[in-house]
Amino acid sequence: MSARPVLRAASGGVTRHRAQTFVIFMVLLVSTASATLGLALLTAASGPFDRAFATQHGADAAVAVNSGRVTAAQLAATKRAAGVSAASGPFSSATVTLTDQGVSLPSSLLVGRASPGGPLDDLTLVSGHWPQRPDQIVLSAGDGFFPGIGSKMRVTTAPRKPQLTVVGIANSITNTADAWVLPSEIGALRTAGAPAAAEMLYRFAAAGTNAQVRGDVATVSAALPPGAVGGFSSWLSARQQATGNSSILAPFVEAFALIGLFMSVLIVANVITGAVVASYRRIGVLKSIGFSPVQVIWAYVARVGVPAVAGCVIGVAAGNLLAIPVLHQSAASFGVGSQTVPIWVNIVTPVAMCALVALTALGPAFRAGRLSAVQAIALGHAPRQGSGYTMHRLASRLRLPRPVSIGLAAPFARPARTAGTLAAIMFGVTAVVFAVGLNTTLARAETGQNLAATAPVQVSLATGKTWLPGSRQDRAIAQALRSQPGTLRYVAAGQTELSAGALARQVNTEAFYGNAAWLGYDLISGHWYTGTGQVVVNTAYLSQTGLTVGQSTTISTGTLSVIARIVGQVFVPGNQPALLTSVQTLGGTSANLGLDQYDVGLKAGVTPSSYVGRLNHVLGNGYNASGPEGGQFYLIADSLIAMLTLMMAAVAGLGVLNTVLLGTRDRVHDLGVFKAVGMTPRQTIAMVLCWVVTPAVVAAVIAIPVGMVLHSATADAMARAAYTGLPASFQAVYRPVEIVLLALSGLVIAGVGALLPAGWAARARTATALRAE
Amino acid sequence: MDALIRVDDVSKRYDNNGPFAVENVSLEVAAGESVAVMGPSGSGKSTLLNLIAGLDRPTTGTVTVAGQRIDSLSETGLAKYRRQRVGMIFQFFNLLDDLTVADNVLLPAQLAGLSRAGARRRADELLERLKISDHRQAYPARLSGGERQRVAIARALVNSPELLLADEPTGALDTATGEEIGRLLLELNQAGQSMIMVTHNPDLARRYASRTIQIVDGRLAQDTAVAGARP
Repeated sequence: MSARPVLRAASGGVTRHRAQTFVIFMVLLVSTASATLGLALLTAASGPFDRAFATQHGADAAVAVNSGRVTAAQLAATKRAAGVSAASGPFSSATVTLTDQGVSLPSSLLVGRASPGGPLDDLTLVSGHWPQRPDQIVLSAGDGFFPGIGSKMRVTTAPRKPQLTVVGIANSITNTADAWVLPSEIGALRTAGAPAAAEMLYRFAAAGTNAQVRGDVATVSAALPPGAVGGFSSWLSARQQATGNSSILAPFVEAFALIGLFMSVLIVANVITGAVVASYRRIGVLKSIGFSPVQVIWAYVARVGVPAVAGCVIGVAAGNLLAIPVLHQSAASFGVGSQTVPIWVNIVTPVAMCALVALTALGPAFRAGRLSAVQAIALGHAPRQGSGYTMHRLASRLRLPRPVSIGLAAPFARPARTAGTLAAIMFGVTAVVFAVGLNTTLARAETGQNLAATAPVQVSLATGKTWLPGSRQDRAIAQALRSQPGTLRYVAAGQTELSAGALARQVNTEAFYGNAAWLGYDLISGHWYTGTGQVVVNTAYLSQTGLTVGQSTTISTGTLSVIARIVGQVFVPGNQPALLTSVQTLGGTSANLGLDQYDVGLKAGVTPSSYVGRLNHVLGNGYNASGPEGGQFYLIADSLIAMLTLMMAAVAGLGVLNTVLLGTRDRVHDLGVFKAVGMTPRQTIAMVLCWVVTPAVVAAVIAIPVGMVLHSATADAMARAAYTGLPASFQAVYRPVEIVLLALSGLVIAGVGALLPAGWAARARTATALRAE
Repeated sequence: MDALIRVDDVSKRYDNNGPFAVENVSLEVAAGESVAVMGPSGSGKSTLLNLIAGLDRPTTGTVTVAGQRIDSLSETGLAKYRRQRVGMIFQFFNLLDDLTVADNVLLPAQLAGLSRAGARRRADELLERLKISDHRQAYPARLSGGERQRVAIARALVNSPELLLADEPTGALDTATGEEIGRLLLELNQAGQSMIMVTHNPDLARRYASRTIQIVDGRLAQDTAVAGARP
């Protein structure tokens, strides 16, 4: 087979049909870019953590041990316990309070280690060096608190309140400690009277689920005397903490990827089949001058292959460019270095897209190859006689301008092509419906978290310290708030960590000094607390305690405890159990509770920014009033949704453009006749635009419920990834007016896609069109 | 007598450096005349007809129809000109296959914004007059060549144009049917319809036109009145 005529025929097709070549190029570019972006984001969700976990030999569980109740030999024996594949320790430990320039930090777990390396939990020294002297400390990078190398910190809970110098920052992939010192120093830093403690690190043969890790730790605990194990932290919690945002993003990226994949397959198939079918006449001519069937097949595969390969290559590059800002954010949150699109994504995506193109092109090309020259020429003519005649007859009875009624009936002449147009619009509208719903849900979730709608201003001390009710600071803030005419209401709140029931981990507890119902926390079930003895909790609290709304829970400081009834499930995402109640409910357990902030509601018409400015002026130095902050997660999510939706809509529009273009090519002679009998350019544009109205309306009718179901399922999946349920209002985001407007998006996509070929049809010279075969 | 059509020194070339399809042609056609444009294939006679129909624009020169310069009209202006002043008949009929006979005939009237009832009345009257009213709900593909050309004539006349332009109206028909169409065109002309007809057929020109124009290599070679023709 000679390649030269094949290449000539292919290049002739590419240059002669510039518009189709452009559509193939663009569809492949956008499809490949969105596939690259989607795959990059999906791999970003867990890839870096898993890599770092493997490199650093992360521990599946860090078990807190009461050293007074267990011997070294007993601990050593656990290394051979069933299910344990590796172990390290014991490392002596102490829970202390550190201060930096007089500011107390939350209680910190200090672990004694002679070196950062080891068979398990091989620490990465991010900066500085490992402690070489008794008064040196290395802080954990995971805390996000870096006073700087050389800074002095004081252990205020130790008997002599020793001062330590920060000499390094290290990273434990599973956050096994907040800081490290030499093992010999732990005893001197331990709180007076506190029992001796140590940390054991374990790797297990099976630790893929929380249940498996709990079972493994139970096996270890059983090998030790009762009370020897105080608690444990799982690598799965660290993984969740590190990949949290990406995990929440994953469901909607997957949903978009699914839409994108279906749409790419459909449109690529549609474009290429259309391109080959539209060229049947040319195929017939090629055969009549001596092209063999194989040469015809290759000529057409090559013709669509050239723009397709170019689109794939540039699409991969575009996908990388789009992914960089998102991956950068993701890398920053993992703290494991920079992230790039994996090489395999850059190879697999274009190869898969090219394979798809080849597969879809080969079918019609083979058919063309098998046809006789005469058949090919005959097939290359306009639609089969009889197709759509009935619709034309019915449309002519409508009291509509004739170009409109002719346009409305036209799609029925080519049902298969119309189905392709319909499907492209349907996927586009589904993406839009889904995106609008998700955007609204995320906006409500963000407002639900930062309370921007009800309490847009918060007041705290500039130092971040707590203060006592009735103290000088408290009176100053209350007086300043009362002095502002824009103040509607306010409530003070304090945060602490308390134990709850059988939960090993502490519960974030927020107690309000006054009526807080107006803050409007979104409730998933039940109601806001209405009196003493009632609490509301988040989903993580319920799932981890196994309690339900209506049941009672015990809250304790370790020495004091109270029993309260859970009356509501509140929207506070995250794996960390949270409890909200009144300070009266906490009773004695609130003895150490200070105030953290005032939440302030504003009168109608008062803008938070101007209010904050005036309030800060009145409060003066030492206080800080601030407005609500937009969450980084929501910013990333919103940007991603907007970008992916635009891409999907663009691909849908290109799909429409392609089919309308093929339609105008098919009917170019008819267009000439219309113009010859007096159809104006405007009437021609109206007629061609009407070709896509029926498919757009049908597509919208199908796509709206599909998009709504997809939104509901994805929002649920995202909520599950964020360890929360969803308030009903977060799901019920589509109002009737919005549904009508969303339906119009189908017409917009169709109209924009059809406008260009409609313009070409309107500008076509009548005499030229009439000469077309 | 005022000229219905005035073509002044018109030239047309399709490529900047290509040959002229029509070169320096000037002519006038009076209202009520029936002019046959003759010449060999590729001589430029269809191009001349297209220029008068406003389907194409001259490269140089002017075309004026019923006092209106059409070479300078916008595309919209040309469309309105075609629907109001011109009816076109083509060799291969150029009917729209997916519209019924009645819908094909009605189309120019509907594009021109005629009232629904008025357009139907006019279409029915033409279908009756052209003896194809039995086929009003048929599709063009089911009609004979002669019937299709009658439908095309009805469509051309539905807006009562001042000028009927026919490009090889009998070229795709057998002799008997061609005769029939020729007689029909003659009847229309005798009823006062101005007409320009491009044809290869000298017999058709002699019998049904009052004047013959010969085009050779894009130039006007001869312009003669047909002997015995009506003035």
